[in-house]
Amino acid sequence: MNTAQRRHHWRREAFLPYLLLAPALVLLAGMIYPFALGSYYSLTSYWLQYPKRFRFVWFDNYVNLVTEPLFASALEFTLGFTVAAVALQVGLGLAIALFLHGRIPGRGAIRALMLLPLMMPPVITALMWKIMMASTNAGILNHMLSFVGVDPINWFGSTGGAVASILIIDTWGNLPFVALILLGGLQALPNEPYEAARVDGAGTLAVLRYVTLPLLSPFIVLVVLFRTMDSLRIFDVIYATTLGGPNDATTNLHIMAYQYSFQWFQMGKGMAQAIVLLLIVVICSYLLMRLWNRASESTQ
Amino acid sequence: MSAQTPSHQHLVRNVAIALAAALLLLWTVFPFFWILLTSLKGPGDMLSVPPKFVFSPTLDNYAALVMGEQRGQYSSTRPDFPLFFLNSIIISVGAVALSIVAGIPAAYALARFDFPLKSGLAFVLMSFRFVPFIAFVIPLYLLYQRLGLYNTHAGLIFAYQLITLPFTIWMLRSFFQEIPLEIQEAAKIDGCSWLGVLTKVILPLSMPGISVTVILGFIFCWNAFNYPLMLAGRQTFPVTVGAIQFISYEQVLWGQMAAATIVAALPQLVLSLMVQKYIVRGLTMGAVK
Repeated sequence: MNTAQRRHHWRREAFLPYLLLAPALVLLAGMIYPFALGSYYSLTSYWLQYPKRFRFVWFDNYVNLVTEPLFASALEFTLGFTVAAVALQVGLGLAIALFLHGRIPGRGAIRALMLLPLMMPPVITALMWKIMMASTNAGILNHMLSFVGVDPINWFGSTGGAVASILIIDTWGNLPFVALILLGGLQALPNEPYEAARVDGAGTLAVLRYVTLPLLSPFIVLVVLFRTMDSLRIFDVIYATTLGGPNDATTNLHIMAYQYSFQWFQMGKGMAQAIVLLLIVVICSYLLMRLWNRASESTQ
Repeated sequence: MSAQTPSHQHLVRNVAIALAAALLLLWTVFPFFWILLTSLKGPGDMLSVPPKFVFSPTLDNYAALVMGEQRGQYSSTRPDFPLFFLNSIIISVGAVALSIVAGIPAAYALARFDFPLKSGLAFVLMSFRFVPFIAFVIPLYLLYQRLGLYNTHAGLIFAYQLITLPFTIWMLRSFFQEIPLEIQEAAKIDGCSWLGVLTKVILPLSMPGISVTVILGFIFCWNAFNYPLMLAGRQTFPVTVGAIQFISYEQVLWGQMAAATIVAALPQLVLSLMVQKYIVRGLTMGAVK
């Protein structure tokens, strides 16, 4: 190949990737355009039923959130639910992963069956539990609890019951995700540190604390990352069960933005709330990704 | 004999393990079992106290689902479930097809070429996995009303690209990267152009990966709820939105709703078992293999 040919070849190589990316980039632009438009709407008083009131209001929609009582409670529920769900699911998921990592009879079958809740549409999962969580003794869950002396719980009608039911439903669907990733991580761990610990005479708990958990930390941070992102913006389960009630006890920022935009059609305000939620998600993912990088570097 | 003998300890340990395994199985499987039972109950057994495990099963709920008929007087609000099922298939197949057509060349570019902004682009695609849907659905709703895309299959197929396109590109990229570079170089020496490398080397070798990506993409579309909730109407509802139509102001049709959840879940439960080795990889967009 002479120089001229090579130069021609290189020039084509330089523009080829963009040609290959073109269809995807067109679709991507089609997604980013509505988002940019929505960001602009968040700075306006867009109210679908009152088009004549449309004005550019700068950051009023954002500033006004500070004095909006629903925003404070929605923010609190968003963050509180995320912390509770992630702690519960990662704690239980780690226990299940460690349990299945020991040679349990029927492990393959349990693994395969655990995929089923994981792949269910979340809204269908919510409807299944809604049937089981009927508030009277006709509900199978209350019937089962009656055997251990628990009085019928008003699952979706009481504040505590509603929060608990959403936590339970979300955990049923997502616990397998945590358990399966951590189980995969456990099975990929090297053998040498365990042999060294055995030579040193370390007990089971010491091995878990000083060998397994540090080695597993990149996987733990990864599941915390994914579960945090999904818990911050949980919507389907709440929509299908409590719709944010009772008394807004289960209204998170996502449900609040939905109510503003699709029940009261205040698109500007709804979009401002959506962007606040987006910013929270971005900040959390940035922090967790840094943690993940550090964890994977330290174990290599 | 003391209780501390090794064989006794062994027995206690085995019983504890068996109990824990049984508890885990019960927690995982019981909801499916119970909903299946509920879907086979007639109206008399539905709300009995205590709940019945033994009853004479009936297929009435499924029949009502298929016929689109609803017991009682509120026939004007009856959900048309066969139509919802068809909608789910049309939208999911369309969305996955569009993503594969646009995603294969894009994934090839990201896997095999170096160019400025490459890692930035990959990151932007990844970030779609974490975006709250409402930030897109509000402007899409307003645009669709204007453009006539509201309540159409085409509009939904485009909106679903937010779910499937970033996923497809990331998955295919990770599968393409697994093909050894030497094979590609050998094909180039044999005179293959970039197109030849793609069609004669990359695509045939990554066919299993492409199938997995298609099936998982289909499952994610099938599971989608919030985009169609806002962008679809009664003519284009998929099964996920269709299933909540059994809750109306007058009554909750528990039996039909149970039957609907079974029917809505069945296709993706079967598909999940087909691709079970790859599900974790798919849910983390290739981050965990």
